[in-house]
Amino acid sequence: MAQRLKEVDVVVIGVGMVGSILAKELAAAGYKVVGLERGTTRFTVPEFQSPGIHDELRFDVRKALMQDNTREPVTFRNHSSETGLPIRRWESFLPGTGLGGSMVHWNGQTFRFQANDFQLATRTRERYGKGFLDPDLTIQDWGVTYDELEPHYDRFEYLLGTSGKAGNLKGQIQPGGDPHESPRSRDYPTPPQKEHYSGALFRKAASSLGHHPFPQPSSNLSQPYTNPEGLKMNTCVFCGFCERYACEHYAKSTPQTFILPVLLANSNFELRTGCQVQRINLDSSKKRATGVTYIDNAGRELEQPASLVITCLFAINNIRMLLLSGIGKPYDPATGKGVVGRNYAYQTMSTVASFFDADVIINPFMASGASGTMINDFAGDNFDHSGLGFIGGAFIGAVNTNGRPIQYHPTPPGTPTWGKGWKDAVVKHYNHTVMFSLHGSSVSQKQNYADLDPTYKDAWGQPLLRITFDFPKNDLKMAEYVTARGVEIGKAMGAKQVAGSPRKGPYTTQQYQTTHNTGGTVMGNDPSTSVVNRYLQSWDVPNVFVIGASAYPQNASWNPTGTLGALTYWVADALKSKYLKNPGHLVSP
Amino acid sequence: MKYVLATLIVLGASGAAGAGTPPPEAATCQACHGVHGEGVLDGGKPRLAGQSAHYLDKQLRDFASGARDNAIMGAIAKGLNDQTRSKLVEFYASLPVPVPLEHTSATAAQVGRGHQLAIEGAEGKRVQACNNCHGPDGSGVALSAPALAGQLATYLAAQLKSWQQGGRKNDAGNLMSSVASKLDDADIAAVSSYYAGLSASTSASH
Repeated sequence: MAQRLKEVDVVVIGVGMVGSILAKELAAAGYKVVGLERGTTRFTVPEFQSPGIHDELRFDVRKALMQDNTREPVTFRNHSSETGLPIRRWESFLPGTGLGGSMVHWNGQTFRFQANDFQLATRTRERYGKGFLDPDLTIQDWGVTYDELEPHYDRFEYLLGTSGKAGNLKGQIQPGGDPHESPRSRDYPTPPQKEHYSGALFRKAASSLGHHPFPQPSSNLSQPYTNPEGLKMNTCVFCGFCERYACEHYAKSTPQTFILPVLLANSNFELRTGCQVQRINLDSSKKRATGVTYIDNAGRELEQPASLVITCLFAINNIRMLLLSGIGKPYDPATGKGVVGRNYAYQTMSTVASFFDADVIINPFMASGASGTMINDFAGDNFDHSGLGFIGGAFIGAVNTNGRPIQYHPTPPGTPTWGKGWKDAVVKHYNHTVMFSLHGSSVSQKQNYADLDPTYKDAWGQPLLRITFDFPKNDLKMAEYVTARGVEIGKAMGAKQVAGSPRKGPYTTQQYQTTHNTGGTVMGNDPSTSVVNRYLQSWDVPNVFVIGASAYPQNASWNPTGTLGALTYWVADALKSKYLKNPGHLVSP
Repeated sequence: MKYVLATLIVLGASGAAGAGTPPPEAATCQACHGVHGEGVLDGGKPRLAGQSAHYLDKQLRDFASGARDNAIMGAIAKGLNDQTRSKLVEFYASLPVPVPLEHTSATAAQVGRGHQLAIEGAEGKRVQACNNCHGPDGSGVALSAPALAGQLATYLAAQLKSWQQGGRKNDAGNLMSSVASKLDDADIAAVSSYYAGLSASTSASH
């Protein structure tokens, strides 16, 4: 029998990026907030300090910062005709755990989506006609527009101190920035990071082909910065240990650097770690949440009553929390009915490797996770798709994030995969190769979804989440097309050999691609095709909000974090200015 | 209780073997930095011996250009041509790191605080460990950060104050001014005496 605790105003499930920002906003507004984090506390000092934090075996190979999949894995299959199996070793995507969440181990690539992305279904129909899309695709509009989110993007970037160069200031195109970006109200808070040599080679080649290179927006800061919360951050030293690691320098923006000290100092907030939330509890009407039930590290079952429950978990865990709690109708791919788990999407990653002779010295180890140079000329709908047979695109960039010795060893096609031939090739090419990342969009389609696994359970006896996913044909075509554009840039750089690797199916969990899992608790204006409304409020249980990249109806050509930050502040505003003054549906279902 | 960081290690034979004959141009340096580049307590003239060639070269260039402001060193550095500067820099980088000059008087608490700042940092002040950049035991990282171990405490403290107050700013990304601005006088005294007391057994130029 669960022990019942004293009721609070708000329970936040998961104290990562979203949870810590929202909790801070609500605690500062006077509400009693409890944050439930399944992992441990951790701070820049002492947990993230050198030399321990640069342990590539521990963090890169053994994934020390990730969700414990000995206790809580995810099952996976490509098609609904198959049996899902648990992912026992994270490879293809890496959900984090612990205070600060997955953002602790991010690369700092901080993008906005474009205005077009938020109205993808409408705009695609307008530009290319009704019959253009594969009928299996389930892309849809977000229910919120870029213009509505712009102030919140701005606030998020200034919270993080993001380093970049504006390309479009209030409609005025700015030289040196991204001319394709949607209008921003002001420039980035700090100037771009220094360009590494592979970026310089890319810039020259891309310009020669008529493209528009610009510095990648980075939340590994280019200079010291004090954010609006009064927290000071340092300059990045280009150590090349961002993604999969935590930053030892207070230079990569994470909740530890930009918000947690302020949140933890607020007496309206209580952090509880080691709390595995089992479900959101509903009253007998199933239309109102009464709080949550969790199991703490001592194995005790506790019930935390609350007036408002906000689930701020990593995308796929948000889906699972709703399914475990019986909130919203689960999606059924056979009928197309139901919404929870629907429109699970991802990111379509391709690469281009350009191999030079020994006289071109790249020094790939001098890098930050976002110090690239890139183009958006083939991203989103920035080029004409007529006759191409697909929608979407990818940013192409020399996004050299590291040269770490165990994991970074580019070799040309045809190189043996082990033994002397492989070793010789690694030595020959390590310092003379430029890698492009082609960061592609991902459309949602009927066959891809998430539900509860019928067989496998976690350490607490709860069903695991099961993902059913393979790359839509649309996205494989897109990858082919965009990779060919990347190869052209590699050749224009003067490389001796250029190897393009467009993403191919089937999707595999065995190879790292990206941790940009999206969808499953999609936002929108129609309750029959969305789980939450435009304020990320559950259509079925209005005192539950679901915030994460799980809200994206499909995924765009850029890293999802910037948009999630904007949505977080968008919801914080709606909660403070509307919901908490008059709890109820913010949009009539 | 006073805790004296005693000088226990004499100049090692292995170190002495690497020492070359000073080039004639080194006479100017020796006048202030000691015959063996070991530094001079009076006036806090820093140790040069065993410092990385890259670091010494950059400092001399910065003195010459004014990027690092020092009237005496500026005048001297301006007088060096590339060949002489390179010769001097290589010579001092090749010298064995001497034993600590100072018998630093520091309390156990000071040493403890200095050690903590060096290896761990201070979350409350948002200061990361010095050794993150300056290498294990402050032994330096050849192309990016100078050795601190065995450096004079008076020199280290003066430099930290200078970074803090904006007198010195010739680093990449204003890193040192951000760090120094978060330290108080007690922190500066503690961390300076901690590094001064290290025997600097490893050379930055390895």
